[in-house]
Amino acid sequence: MHRVAITGLGCISALGHSAAEHWQAARDGRSGIGGITHVASELLQIKVAAEVRGFDPAGKLSDAQLISTDRYTQFAILAARDAVADAGLAFSDALAEETAAIIGTGIGGAVTIDENADRVYGQKRPRMHPMSIPKTMPSAAASYITMDLGLHGPAFGVTSACSSANHAIGEALWMVRTGRARAAITGGSESCLTYGSLLAWQALRVMATDTCRPFCVDRKGMVLGEGAGILVLERLDDAKARGARIYAELAGTGLSSDAGSLTDPSSEGAALAMRRALKDAGLAADAIGYINAHGTGTGQNDPAEARAIHLAFAGRGREIPVSSTKSMHGHSLGAAGALESVITARAVAEQVAPPTANFTTADPECDLRHVPNEAIEIPIEAALSNSFAFGGLNSVLVMRRVS
Amino acid sequence: MSTDPKAVEEKVIDIVANQRRVDPSTLSLDMKLEDTGIESIDLVEIIFAIEDEFDIDVPQDRDAMKLETLQDVVDGVQRLIAEKNAA
Repeated sequence: MHRVAITGLGCISALGHSAAEHWQAARDGRSGIGGITHVASELLQIKVAAEVRGFDPAGKLSDAQLISTDRYTQFAILAARDAVADAGLAFSDALAEETAAIIGTGIGGAVTIDENADRVYGQKRPRMHPMSIPKTMPSAAASYITMDLGLHGPAFGVTSACSSANHAIGEALWMVRTGRARAAITGGSESCLTYGSLLAWQALRVMATDTCRPFCVDRKGMVLGEGAGILVLERLDDAKARGARIYAELAGTGLSSDAGSLTDPSSEGAALAMRRALKDAGLAADAIGYINAHGTGTGQNDPAEARAIHLAFAGRGREIPVSSTKSMHGHSLGAAGALESVITARAVAEQVAPPTANFTTADPECDLRHVPNEAIEIPIEAALSNSFAFGGLNSVLVMRRVS
Repeated sequence: MSTDPKAVEEKVIDIVANQRRVDPSTLSLDMKLEDTGIESIDLVEIIFAIEDEFDIDVPQDRDAMKLETLQDVVDGVQRLIAEKNAA
């Protein structure tokens, strides 16, 4: 089994169009949540989201790519390019043969689905654009990354709602560990801030109308986000041999299913995933110096996650700094784990725990060591990044400091 | 849409009874929603059915509208209908 390193990061989010901007904003506690501009928000009760602003792929993508990709795929292609450049990785023929592309998404081509629905049912036009199917399919991001980078390794999309990206990254970890791939481009992408999707989220009645305040007594719910996060994974030995900058070791992944309620999380299920992640990484609970929480800011998730942390870290539940960066980049669903992995990798590399922004007063039911509004410099031997999805699908990643 | 108070009461009870799969006669307006045996998923479906039936929007903020008893629900619906008609 090979140990696996994270050597490149790429990201497009409400916090910026690069992993550097995304991390810097998170480190500074700057929220990217604002008024919704994509959709006429007077039609909606939800007025705020963490939108990717000023995204202009023309000039960066070819005409062929522009005409045949949904916004979610465009985010993924550009974030992947940046991650590879960041890794300083050049794909020899041999490496390209063995590099995987495993990309999570919750919905896939949501913008395309929405536009086509309007065209066919709303405008009653009798035909759709020929690129509709390729644009819609939730494997599009994985496909396009292989095409854009010239990769011939295993590639597919992964889906598990809010845990999609962590599940994708976990699969990529296993591929590189076992030698099924020599390297991997992995992460997640999502762009579903459409009128239809926003109406659907409204109906679940878990959305905040002001902002996202995870773990706070006055939190009102989730705020949606969008974007893509991509990691380059290589064998730790390969990374060291070529003198690559290593952000962190991707040390472990733990999965579980709640087998409970569709929308109410289970603390036992979440704790199980965290324990499995630690075991997979070969680390004791003591090694964890920071937890990037799922922390959606809903009434249900936050206390359940707090209880899960106490279960998994018996006795240390009030010691480990925990923050939710969804307070800044929103809940980007299938991209969530990826946006958060980019941040967690940087947190480990720099020994800085980013804050939960918009923090007022902690809910006593969320009895944790919070990081309110300002980052803290703290020794982090290893960190957890949590994703706990609707339908009870949990996926936790462990990243470890590389000296 | 009819704002006849009796019609609104009957419809609200019908919606909750339908969600709980019980006979409407087993429900009364003074009952607390939680005592009717509903779970959180039932509540969002009940609110959806009410919004769809009366063409109103129940506020996203849980604190904005008291929905403890069935009477609270009826009162809330009446208020939203009146606000909508006034707009």
